[in-house]
Amino acid sequence: MREGAAIRVSHVSKTFIINHQGVGSLKTAFMSRYRIGEIEKREVLKDISFEVKWGECFALLGNNGAGKSTLLSLIARVYRPTEGTIEVNGRVAPLLELGAGFHPDLTGLENIVINGVILGMKRKEVIEKIPSIIEFAELEASIDAPLRTYSSGMMARLGFATAIHTNPDVLIVDEALSVGDYAFTQKCFRYIQSFRANGGTILFVSHDATTIRQVANHVIWLKDGRIEAEGDPNEITDRYLAYMTAKSEQQRLAEQG
Amino acid sequence: MLEDIREVWRYRELLRTMVRRDLQVRYKNSVAGFFWSLINPLATMVVLTVVFKYIMGNPIPNFSAYLLSAQLPYLFFQQSLMDASQSVNAGAQIMKKIYFPREIYPLSNIIANFVHLILALFVFFAYLIVIWLRHPAVFPIPWTVVLLPLLLFVNFCMVTGLGLLFSALNMFFDDVKYMLGIMLYLLFFMCPIVYPPEYIAYSAQIPEKWRPIIYNLYFSNPIAYLISAYRRILVKAPEYVLVGGVKHPPLELSVNKGLLCLAFSFFFLWFGYGVFNRYKWKFLEKP
Repeated sequence: MREGAAIRVSHVSKTFIINHQGVGSLKTAFMSRYRIGEIEKREVLKDISFEVKWGECFALLGNNGAGKSTLLSLIARVYRPTEGTIEVNGRVAPLLELGAGFHPDLTGLENIVINGVILGMKRKEVIEKIPSIIEFAELEASIDAPLRTYSSGMMARLGFATAIHTNPDVLIVDEALSVGDYAFTQKCFRYIQSFRANGGTILFVSHDATTIRQVANHVIWLKDGRIEAEGDPNEITDRYLAYMTAKSEQQRLAEQG
Repeated sequence: MLEDIREVWRYRELLRTMVRRDLQVRYKNSVAGFFWSLINPLATMVVLTVVFKYIMGNPIPNFSAYLLSAQLPYLFFQQSLMDASQSVNAGAQIMKKIYFPREIYPLSNIIANFVHLILALFVFFAYLIVIWLRHPAVFPIPWTVVLLPLLLFVNFCMVTGLGLLFSALNMFFDDVKYMLGIMLYLLFFMCPIVYPPEYIAYSAQIPEKWRPIIYNLYFSNPIAYLISAYRRILVKAPEYVLVGGVKHPPLELSVNKGLLCLAFSFFFLWFGYGVFNRYKWKFLEKP
């Protein structure tokens, strides 16, 4: 076990500025100076703090629009927090959107190299791992064909295989991740399980209570950009389910008038 | 700013890979590969040589080399700015998925174009050597060519600064790409590419007392200076320039204007990177 935390999020807030007319040209930019009222600030995350410890399987629970994706994007450094700090230690493999930087005109092989370097590997390192990546992705037959001839499942396989070969310390997994057919999905699950068994750290996002009970050992429930509750998976998911049931009951009544 | 530069340096391996990707994509889908991208300057050169030399009777010796020496750097300038200004926008999909320094998008485009300029200059020198073999009496490559790395460096700084600036502005204003296109088109004629600068200095249309002022202003444009400097060091100056039927001696480039050009290109680099840094975290969350 390593000391400290794999991911440390302290007092993070994120505000997006939303302009309802959409500034896109110099003209509207000048015009909107006189119409400031139409700009809305939307606070998506409010004062979020938590720590993902090494070796933990940490789950983020929450319904749509709770701010889960924004939080993951902040951890992936796609956005900067408006307030607060995020500290990420070790090598992180985000399995959120696979195949960043894939180019349709280059072959599978060439794309592995680019994607691998984008994910933080050295070029030489990627080239050494190419045989193993191709084997995992089961793409021996079409690795020299341009990527535009690939099916979406093949691309996801290539992206997943490259991402896990970065030798990550932390996996960030979105539960909605789709990686091809049933057999390959099972293979990915087996990989994630063995990753965990070897002491890897996982941060994953889900709105499914059952999965969380099965795999997570620590849960945060995000509601409207705040941490509603934190702690033991069974306890938190029970509260979450109770809340969701009450909410849908309310909706049903409202619809019936 | 230093911390940002260090961050780009940490990702130099990625930068190299992205440059390689740009070049691979550009040269991939055609049999002739690299030569296709030479067709543009060569075709322009042929057309201009026919018009200016054979139809209008311009007496400058070795007119094609005279043209190419200015046109290749200008094409680099133009193409890098067009590519760089679109690069961040084009990379927005990747930017949403994964982090790496956002400077990489315009930089990789500019460096790829720079590599392309170097390759094109090799072809240019090969052409000069062919001429030399046909007319062994005159060796067409002057010693001043040793200054080429200096010019390439200044040029690179200038283009990088402007490229960063326009790529950032382009994220917020759709007008930028149209404005840039028009500016680059006008700039082509405001630089001594298809005509020698002596046309301005000795123009019969400009009153004599205005000529030095206009000539001064003309060369205060750092790109006009840079392009002339390329021409000055790459090809031998003609013995005389014909303006309005009168023979004039070719003019030397002023050193002061050279320093001004240098100052401009460092200023562009500093200013462009400053603007880029200031706005790079807003690229994905523009209002």
